[in-house]
Amino acid sequence: MASIAIDLVARGRQALVVRFTAAERLAHWVHFGAFTVLLGTGLFVYVPWFQPFATGSAGEASRLAHRIAAVVFIGAPLIYLVFSPREFFYSLKESFAWGKDDWGWLRNAWNYYTHGHAGTMPPQGKYNAGQKLNALTQIVTFALFTITGLVMWFGKGVVAPTIFMWSVVIHDLSVIATVVLFMLHLYLVAAHPIHRESITSMFEGTVTEEYAQEHHGKWLTERVYRKRGENKT
Amino acid sequence: MTKAMLIDTSICIGCKGCQVACKEWWNLAPTKTTQVGTYENPLDLNADTWTRIRFSEYEAGGKVRWLFMKWGCMQCANAACVDVCPTAALKKNALGFVSLERDLCNGCGYCSQACPFNIPRLETINALTGEAKATKCTFCQDRITNDLIPACVKTCPAAALGFSDRGKVLATAKTRVEDLKKLGYAEARVYGESELGGLGRVYVLTAPAAAYGLPEKPEYPVLANFWQNLLQPFGYVAVGATALGLGVNWVLTRRARLGDVETVEPET
Repeated sequence: MASIAIDLVARGRQALVVRFTAAERLAHWVHFGAFTVLLGTGLFVYVPWFQPFATGSAGEASRLAHRIAAVVFIGAPLIYLVFSPREFFYSLKESFAWGKDDWGWLRNAWNYYTHGHAGTMPPQGKYNAGQKLNALTQIVTFALFTITGLVMWFGKGVVAPTIFMWSVVIHDLSVIATVVLFMLHLYLVAAHPIHRESITSMFEGTVTEEYAQEHHGKWLTERVYRKRGENKT
Repeated sequence: MTKAMLIDTSICIGCKGCQVACKEWWNLAPTKTTQVGTYENPLDLNADTWTRIRFSEYEAGGKVRWLFMKWGCMQCANAACVDVCPTAALKKNALGFVSLERDLCNGCGYCSQACPFNIPRLETINALTGEAKATKCTFCQDRITNDLIPACVKTCPAAALGFSDRGKVLATAKTRVEDLKKLGYAEARVYGESELGGLGRVYVLTAPAAAYGLPEKPEYPVLANFWQNLLQPFGYVAVGATALGLGVNWVLTRRARLGDVETVEPET
């Protein structure tokens, strides 16, 4: 947290641009909270060591928590859609728009995140290629989690046993995919030695103009400046 | 020593004494039934009915025969329910039966979906919160671990049921099948000797398995051990590899940053 405080002090002297609306941030943190609870309570069943937490009254509590968190998890994107529809559809469109700069970003990502050679990275939109990949995985696994979860919750004896068993497998595969991404995501925003400002923007909603120029140049030009009527590049 | 239950359908008189004895010993509530034109009741296993007699009509050689068969958990040697149970509420006992510890069951219902015989039934306590308990016949796990025989076997007035060491049960079943063949039951056979690694219920049948509603070749579901054998290790490897990759990246990045005097940042 110390580094975030330092960032904030440094930010005080710089021009800020809004990267995430309040609804975007709220949806993000609700999703984060629900996901964490779902992951924790789900691991009780997945990892044999945690079996004591999956049985008896601990099991009752974790099963209930998993279901409540599931409802919150399913509802989180609605916050985004209802209160920030413009950004919702813009971000959705962006996640599926892949071009030369995205592949270029991915090619140089390891080098960049290991040595900080910023000059090698092509200009990015509101989301860089890595964030787009994260978003796409989140979108796909959100659908898979929701469908398979509802099958396991209400589908016993209703759907064919094979469909039920596939649901368990797909639910688990989605967990593995999202956990790996979650680790990467947490690392990059909270532990990576170079990048600090990304997480600040998810708290404060803003990034410094300098940061936006370096990391999300296309977005700054096409969206922020154009909205302001400026013609900077 | 593995024990087994002998179920001789050629002797069974369909009295359903076994159903009643099971309910009495386990104190299970009666199930309200409606008359639909068969002596079968209830029409299916449920959370309060762990064994029941199936009645089926079988026509062969211009003659209709009425077949009775005691139905319930088969206590498979390769039990899919045990493999999918995430809380170890279901276990394979050394005596050969599949034990069920109600306290450990978290109501996930995986067993009810994986069973090739569709046996375990969920006692749903609250559908919304998912509170439930799996139920099934355990060969009276409390009785047989105390040198008693299962309640249904004890009560059977026709002695169609037996309970003994599995080897003895198989030998008796085979002798009986030979006798039945001599008596003209050409289709007589033993069921349960090798199905799913050997069942805890050994049946003497006088008609094809399908005529009793038994699967001719019960199959262990492909996905039943997928979780333990593939998904779990795959998950551990994926998480481990990611952690390792991130750790390596952290060390390399830090080294690169520390070498670059101008951009050294305070570390957390």
